[in-house]
Amino acid sequence: MIQLTDVYKTFTVKDKRTRAKKQVEAVKGLSLTVKPGEIYGLLGPNGAGKSTTLRMIAGLMQPNQGRIQVCGLDTVEQPEKARAKVGYLSTDLNVYGRFTPRELLRIFGEFQGLDAKVAERRGMYLMEKLQLDDFADVKMEGFSSGQKQKVSIARALLHDPKVVIFDEPTTGLDVLTAKTVLDLLRVMRAEGRTVIVSTHVMPMVEEICDRVGIIFDGLLYGDASPKQILDDWGVKTLDEVFFELAARSAAEV
Amino acid sequence: MRGALLICKKEFMELMKDRKTMFFTFLLPVLLYPAIFGMMSKLGRNDEEKRKSKASRVAVVDASQTLLPLLRTEPTLFEVVSAPEGDVKQAINDEKLEMQVEVDEDAAAKLEAQQTFSVKATYDRSNDSSRLALTRLKEQLQKQDKTWVQARLKTMGAPADLASPTKLESVDAGGESRVMGRIMGSMLPYLLMIMMFAGSMQHGIYATAGEKERGTLLSLLATSLPRNQIVLGKLLYVFSIGILSALINLASLGISMLLTFSKEAAVNAPSAGPGMGSLSALANPATLALTFFLMVPLGLCFANFIVLMGVQAKNAVEAGSSIMPGFFAVMMMAVFSMAPGIEKMAWLPYVPILNVSLAIRKLFVHQGNIPEYLLALVMTVGLAAVFTWLSTRMLKRESALFKV
Repeated sequence: MIQLTDVYKTFTVKDKRTRAKKQVEAVKGLSLTVKPGEIYGLLGPNGAGKSTTLRMIAGLMQPNQGRIQVCGLDTVEQPEKARAKVGYLSTDLNVYGRFTPRELLRIFGEFQGLDAKVAERRGMYLMEKLQLDDFADVKMEGFSSGQKQKVSIARALLHDPKVVIFDEPTTGLDVLTAKTVLDLLRVMRAEGRTVIVSTHVMPMVEEICDRVGIIFDGLLYGDASPKQILDDWGVKTLDEVFFELAARSAAEV
Repeated sequence: MRGALLICKKEFMELMKDRKTMFFTFLLPVLLYPAIFGMMSKLGRNDEEKRKSKASRVAVVDASQTLLPLLRTEPTLFEVVSAPEGDVKQAINDEKLEMQVEVDEDAAAKLEAQQTFSVKATYDRSNDSSRLALTRLKEQLQKQDKTWVQARLKTMGAPADLASPTKLESVDAGGESRVMGRIMGSMLPYLLMIMMFAGSMQHGIYATAGEKERGTLLSLLATSLPRNQIVLGKLLYVFSIGILSALINLASLGISMLLTFSKEAAVNAPSAGPGMGSLSALANPATLALTFFLMVPLGLCFANFIVLMGVQAKNAVEAGSSIMPGFFAVMMMAVFSMAPGIEKMAWLPYVPILNVSLAIRKLFVHQGNIPEYLLALVMTVGLAAVFTWLSTRMLKRESALFKV
């Protein structure tokens, strides 16, 4: 289970022209809960605070205020234990080009506390599921972005995490590979894992997400099923919710 | 510590996957030094042999015929040529001859009258062959002077020992090992510092800023490994590479030097031992062990500095730019540590890094000073600990992690 309670995150940015420093609030008082066996879709335009929120849940960043719990573990007080429960995937993450997938998965398995042989066995099982087992012993430096993404997914799921965080998992993937990823997300839900996904692809959200939250300007809107959100806002697509939020924001300015 | 060892293992595995880097890091130094030294030695020997086997072309202006017959009796050393027309210096610079010797016009009369006559030699100090001609002339004159003095003493009815009131006999109390120790003591810290720093610099950048740039660092940070273990693992890797690189370079350099000097010794004095003095100076286990104990924290300091700069940099280029001033500082200190007489400076034992040089230098000349050694050790360990703490803190700072 993922639980965020009144979470704030602020960054200090420097204006290159005036050299002045200013505080930017990326996340403003965000609270949400994602239950096991549920896929939660986090939507929002670029720079809305999606990736920051996911990084905080993954223990890569700390909130300035508020509390984040993963499987009951506080990400600030028990960061290593909390991270052990999480499988994190992001487009920012790359693979080690000098290694083969088999080597990479064995090493990362050891990092996650698994025995090297167990890690390799589990890694190969995941590679097979992701239809990349033929490339298990090929150096990854020549891999396509789709192949790299598949290896990253295997790396994230290697230690059998209870919580799965996928930040834009289908970005840059072809239709077939994207379908493989979506199928995998469904399997994880069926296995009772807690899944949180950020994306720009609205059809994907409507297809697989049980609940959706829209982050706009650091604030969370929606936090309901896709159908409920469409009904509440009186629109036909989630894109229209985006446009409505953007219009409101412009009017406030 | 398990996490740090796993990270270190991963870094080494990554290194071993890159054959080119492996070649340049470990194999090239093994091949490079013997090749350079062998070539230098061969070229030097050939040149010297050529020069020595060739008689020096000397123009002799000796109206009284005092020295000229003497030089003519040594055709292997001197080839008497006619004096050049025009400027003598220009002729020597143009290598038409190596030297011109001008003897006093009344040299024979002065010699007869038991007076001193002058010999003026014009040569080119920047030219090896010209310098050799002067050396040969000096040796020849020295020999002839002795004969003439003996003849004069005989004429006077004085004993032959009259012109030699003293006979100096020098005994080397230090022995060859101490002489080599002094040379090694001033050179070794310089070589170790430069090799350790330079050897680990690129690997450190690759493992820190390089990981950030390639987008792989976040995947490490997303694992359950504690961040200080990740930093320690990278530190251990950079440190190990630095030590390995320094040891390989030194071993290759040492063996190449030893082989070269052995050949030289065999050529110059076939009866002499093949550089065994230098070997014994180097192979003293206590000296080597104490040197190693000092080099470990120093290597850690360097590795820490590299990791610290690498972690805070956005990319490999920025990391390289921020590490270079540190490298220059180490190089300057290393050069300074070679200067003669620096061991007499009272403040030196309190300057980090330089005090390591000083301590090693003293160890090699058997003047090891326990308080100074311990001070250098404690200060270097302290510095390494401060850098480690800073690196770990840096990797916890989000501003450093997400700079890319």
